[in-house]
Amino acid sequence: MTGSSIAAMAWRNLWRHRRRTLLTLSSIAFGTSLAILFTGFGDSSWREMIDLAARLGGGHVALQHHEYLDTPTLERTVGAAELREVALRDPGVDRVVTRITGFAMLSTAGQSYGTALIAYDPELEDDTTLSVLEGLSEGHGFRTANDKGIILGAKLAENLDVRLGRKVVYTLTDKHGEIVQEAARVTGIIRTGAPTVDAGLSLLPIGVLRTALGYGEDEAIQVGLFIDDQRNATAVAARLRGQVGERVSALPWYELQPELAGFIAMKIAGAQFMEVTIALLVAAGIFNTLFVSVMERLREFGIMMAIGFSPARLFGLVMFETLWLGLVGLFGAALVTAWPYYYMNTVGIDISAFGLGSGTEVAGVSMGSVMRVDIYLENLVMIAVAALAATLLSGLYPAWKAGHVAPVEAIKLV
Amino acid sequence: MAGNNGPIVELDDVTKLYRQGEIDVQALRGLTLAVEPGEFTAICGPSGSGKTTMLNLIGALDRPTSGRIAIEGRDLAPLSRKELSVLRRDRIGFVFQAYNLMPVLTAYENAEIVLSLQRVDAAERRERVMRLLADVGLEGLERRRPDELSGGQQQRVAIARAIASDPAVVLADEPTANVDSDTADKLLDIMEHLNRERGATFIFSTHDPRVMERARRVVRIADGRVERDDAKAQASA
Repeated sequence: MTGSSIAAMAWRNLWRHRRRTLLTLSSIAFGTSLAILFTGFGDSSWREMIDLAARLGGGHVALQHHEYLDTPTLERTVGAAELREVALRDPGVDRVVTRITGFAMLSTAGQSYGTALIAYDPELEDDTTLSVLEGLSEGHGFRTANDKGIILGAKLAENLDVRLGRKVVYTLTDKHGEIVQEAARVTGIIRTGAPTVDAGLSLLPIGVLRTALGYGEDEAIQVGLFIDDQRNATAVAARLRGQVGERVSALPWYELQPELAGFIAMKIAGAQFMEVTIALLVAAGIFNTLFVSVMERLREFGIMMAIGFSPARLFGLVMFETLWLGLVGLFGAALVTAWPYYYMNTVGIDISAFGLGSGTEVAGVSMGSVMRVDIYLENLVMIAVAALAATLLSGLYPAWKAGHVAPVEAIKLV
Repeated sequence: MAGNNGPIVELDDVTKLYRQGEIDVQALRGLTLAVEPGEFTAICGPSGSGKTTMLNLIGALDRPTSGRIAIEGRDLAPLSRKELSVLRRDRIGFVFQAYNLMPVLTAYENAEIVLSLQRVDAAERRERVMRLLADVGLEGLERRRPDELSGGQQQRVAIARAIASDPAVVLADEPTANVDSDTADKLLDIMEHLNRERGATFIFSTHDPRVMERARRVVRIADGRVERDDAKAQASA
């Protein structure tokens, strides 16, 4: 008997108890569908979070002074031009930006508040690399690196009691350890919905800050690299390490923001645990169906053995039934997942409708209010393979049982 | 087996002890029997006499507690499970009281199944199965599933399945028990015809007097032993 005849027989056996088979198939389909949607939510969320963190921090990979991570002072600078050139030669790198980041004191006549500063080059960056610019709700961004002006978080501006056009003084320590002060008029207000950004961030044009800090024209704290896929950050950082010299570190995003990396790792582990739990429940259901199906047919297996089926063929027959179950289940999963996936991929779910505000801040990163599903292809393949493997594993014992019936005992069964 | 000139089935001082709960049941007690090629033999005896146990042992479905069983001179004792399944596939045909066709297969596929297991070429399979189904009177019903056939028709398919691979011996356990007397006569006609035309050896276990009447040898078993062995004059025609 050829494999195809065994497969055909297994296919027909599958439909002998149509309702039971349909129930099992639906558990495979919905279990797999849930796994795809959960993983898709995760992939999309973590990707958005990492990209947002990269756009707020130093990119997916940052080139910075090798001591800056441990002692982040404005003295630890790098030569940006040469590093930009090196980075742009890497095939994985899409964009390279130059930033000075640090802390300053902002003062008005009546108020003083601390702020995190990001000084950027508007000729190299826009809101696709500096996410907070998306939240510019009043005024405008900088046009050149030497524009006069400052952009404040909305809550910070409110605390300082300033509006557009009003003057603020920022005070910080320069490259030589001297305290410097500069004045700037507010040219923009950003409102992101993330408390730490709205209440604590200021933006300056990089040229102005370079002058204030006594930096050379080429100096910066970070050269931020944006890459095509954040999962390649490790590889890009590793490639650049050999090219940037010992005094410069090439750090992937998760080394720059370990708290975010830890949060994502914890969430992914939680999601995987849930997926494994779902897989076990589905596998238990499949096992039950197959086992009952085999036990009901013991007499038939005994007859088959009597007429010349070998134990291996009976094992193969039940495994083929299991394989069909898995394949049809996966097809069903594709059918039941297609529309919800399409909807949640293109429209998404607006979590602000659940009273979570217009956006939310997770691990210091301001997230959008619309959750979307967008699964990585390899994760989709992995789920399909895992679902099929779980189905086949569930079939092993029933198949073994079928291949080990004692014909003389089985034939007596009614 | 090619080249064997002796009995097709030999049982030599065979015993079979079952454990049924706490009780040991001695189903066969030193049974000795030889069946020659081409025989049309009925094994009869009261319930519990050991008929079915004997057929199971000849059919390599079970192993004896002691004694020797050989099919075409080949001792079954040293054969592995796999070798026994090959022996059943190639040299033994079974006809069961309750037909026991594969419910998901058509009449044609049921009759063909052993040939498929033997990987006989598709064209040859088709030719042999179609001829056999015609022989057993099932022409035109090839595509029907067992639940679309009467009991007698199902038993004809079972006979076709048993004989399709030209086995050394066909073992039929009460083949007429579940059919009416007309159908039983027709089934016996078919088996007799196959026995005469193809030389197939048939061994029946039966209570049915019609089978005993048509058999050319009747072996009566009681208490696990051969009580009487009547070979009729017209045997081995």
